[in-house]
Formats: sequence, structure tokens, C-alpha cells
Amino acid sequence: MMEWGLFVIELQNVTKKFGNHTAIQNVSLTVHQGEIHGLIGASGAGKSTMLRVMNLLEIPDSGSVYVGERELTTRSKRELREARKRIGMIFQHFNLVLNKTVEQNVAVSLQLAQVPKHQRIDRVRECLRFVGLEDQMDKYPAQLSGGQKQRVAIARALANEPEVLLCDEPTSSLDPHTTSEILTVIRDIHERLGVTVIIVSHEMNVIKSICQRVTVMDQGTIYETVQIESSGIPRSDRSPERFIKELKNDA
Amino acid sequence: MPDILLRYQAEIWQAIGETFIMVGVSILAAILVGLPVGTLLYLCRKGNLLENRFVFSSLNLLVNIIRSFPFLLLVVFLIPFTRLIMGTAIGTAAATVPLSIIAFAHYSRLVEQSLLEIPKGVIDAAVSMGASVKEVVFKFLLVESRSGLVVGLTMSTISFISYSTIMGVVGGGGVGDFAIRYGYQQFQTDLMLYVIVIMVILVQMIQFIGMTIARKIDKR
Repeated sequence: MMEWGLFVIELQNVTKKFGNHTAIQNVSLTVHQGEIHGLIGASGAGKSTMLRVMNLLEIPDSGSVYVGERELTTRSKRELREARKRIGMIFQHFNLVLNKTVEQNVAVSLQLAQVPKHQRIDRVRECLRFVGLEDQMDKYPAQLSGGQKQRVAIARALANEPEVLLCDEPTSSLDPHTTSEILTVIRDIHERLGVTVIIVSHEMNVIKSICQRVTVMDQGTIYETVQIESSGIPRSDRSPERFIKELKNDA
Repeated sequence: MPDILLRYQAEIWQAIGETFIMVGVSILAAILVGLPVGTLLYLCRKGNLLENRFVFSSLNLLVNIIRSFPFLLLVVFLIPFTRLIMGTAIGTAAATVPLSIIAFAHYSRLVEQSLLEIPKGVIDAAVSMGASVKEVVFKFLLVESRSGLVVGLTMSTISFISYSTIMGVVGGGGVGDFAIRYGYQQFQTDLMLYVIVIMVILVQMIQFIGMTIARKIDKR
């Protein structure tokens, strides 16, 4: 049994509605420091909304959100912006600025945090090295593959040394091989940098491969939170022999 | 060079100069007023960062009203206003008033449209990184929409040339006015045709330059 440190994120009785539709209803959840926490459920179960509430990308209609010692829901706009800089986030569609180079995409998050210019470039390099894209600094996102784009997004999210990384369907637009690649990077961030990770996914294998606790959502509420033994990231083989084998096995 | 163009050389150059002033001021108005107004229209729209129904509806209505005037009527309608701020309603300087007004209305719509094409996710990413509204606009929205903004400004500029010819009615001068007074009204059809050719070349050049820049800065 692992010992959990201080909680990092806590939602208390959070409700979020979009018009007449209640996305999450009176949800309370604690994410412990240093864990990889999964959120899974059918589409429309409210898992993405729950994630987006954690950095107040969606402002809850009621309830409170704590990150570390800070209550985000009562913060001023300026304080909230400061708090967000300590919470990294990546998305299903990467959401890079397509008119900025890889380097500029990572640098912008440092710029927002008022990191002096001469320190920026080193930090950008460091982050890109971490995700293995140091040699692609001058490329534009359009010149990269999906997996590479997601790695740039990860580097961008890491730039300000966040305590928490929120991952919204990070592998859902990637093929199985690239999915393994990205999951490996996320696990590295967790292991080497000690960052708490929260992953939303509708893919069971993604959740099972790296999560330590998983919250199952149903119709805007938490069905259950379970502790699991992560199964490890499947090694993915893209050789033609493998495809043939799998085709025959499934038949 | 045809004789008739040589004969009217001085007048033609002056007319071209007047057109440049009128179109130049229009472009300035488009950038200085149209760009912020278009951005505000976008930001205040429902579901966006500065959602504000009152500001959105007011600006939206204003832009719609200006754009629904047939331009000649707008010019006439604005005569008292033009006189108020320029001291006169006649001449090239006075002509820049109604031109600036149509210019900002015209361009703000195109700005709004370019911004609407940016995937919402980019804004999510910006906000999640702790960007303020100002930073979202300058470091994300305008960067991502820059080629659309240039294409829009190119289209607007070409419309401004067309609008500026109408300003001949109030003594605004310009190439269009020259073509009508010296070409059409004095039965020198060939002169009118030459001026039209000059205008076609001018528009082609603007279109080419605008599109080239837009293509160069578009990395999407």
C-alpha cells in the first residue's frame, strides 16, 4: 500500500451546467499528490468537464476547487492566472499555435510566466530534450506527426515546472504505436519529475496501462473510485508480420 | 504611351495621388479602428472570453447599419457630420470621413470572421497557461489569424478603391472621378478606358501583393 502525501487537487460538491444540461452534478473528488489518476466513462459522463474544472477552464456553478493549499474558486482573476501557470494541460487535438515554431510554442508559456528572455531558450531546449524533439525546434507544427505535436504540447505544459499535469484525452487522436509513445512520456514525467497526473480517456487500455487510481464517471456523477495495479504500457509492434498475426487471431 | 494620356498627365497623376490619400486613410482607419472593433465583436460574442451581450449587440448593430447603407447615401447622410469635424464636406480631406467609417465597418467584419475560424482549443491552451485576455489576443489570436487578416485587408483595400471613386460626387477627386469627368462626360471614351486599365492593373497588383504576403506568413 502506498502512502499518499498531501492532496493536490480536491473538488468539493462541484456542479457545472451548460444551459439546461448538467455536465457534472455535486461531485467531490480528491486526487493525491504524486499519483496518476484516471478518469473514465462513456462520452457525456462528465469526465472532461471534471478535468476542465480543475484549472477553472470551466467555472463551476457551485462547489469549490482546491489545488494544493489554494482554493481556486475564490481567487481573483490575476491570482487564478498565476495558479494556472503551475498546472500544465494537454489536449486531444494538441492545440498548438500553428503559426509559431516548435520553439516559439514552448517559449510562449515561459513568456506568459515572465521568465526573462535569456533563461527562456535554455528551458525550452531542456523541455524539448525531455520529449525528444530537441532537433525539431525550428519546424512548424504542420511539419510534424501527431505524436510529435503532442510531445510539443507536453513540452509546453512542462515549461513552467507544473505540480500537476491535466491530460484531456491525450492519445485519442493517435494510433496505438504513438499512444504508447505518449504514455511513456507521461509516465516519465510522473516518475522523473514527480508531477501529479490526471488523465481523462475513454480508452480502457490507456487508463489501465499507467493509472494507479481510477474514477469511473456516469451521467455527471462519480460511480466509483478504485485503486489498480497499472498494467504497464503495451509494447507496440508495427511490423507487417504483427499485423498479419493479429488479423488471423481475430478471425 | 497614347497621346491622350500624355496630354492629361498632370491631372492623372494628381487623381492617382488623391486616390492614394483616400485609400490610405481608409486602410489606416481599418487597421486602427476596424481591427480592435472586429476583435471586440469576436471576444464579446456568446461563449467567448469577454462575453457581453450589450457590447456585442451594440457593435454588431452599428456595423450592420453602416454596411447596409448604399455607400452614396451614407456619404450624403454623413455630410453634416463631415462638416462638423472637417469644417467642409467637399474635397479629398472631407472624403476621408465617410471612407474611414465604411472602412472600419467593412474590415471589422472580416477580422471577426478570421478570428472565428481559429479552433477554440487554441484559446483553451492559452487560458490554461495562465494568459490574460490581452495576452490571448496578442500572443495567440492575432498570430493564428494573421494570414486571414491580411487577406481581409487586401479585399477591403480593393473595396476602398471602389468606394473612393464614388467620392468624386462630393469633390473628393481621385482616379474614378477623373475617368468620369474627363472620359465619360467629355466623350473621350478612350481616355476612360485607359483609366479603367490603370485601375485594373492597380487592383491586380494589390491582390498579388496581399496574397503573396498572406501565403508567406501562413504556416498552418
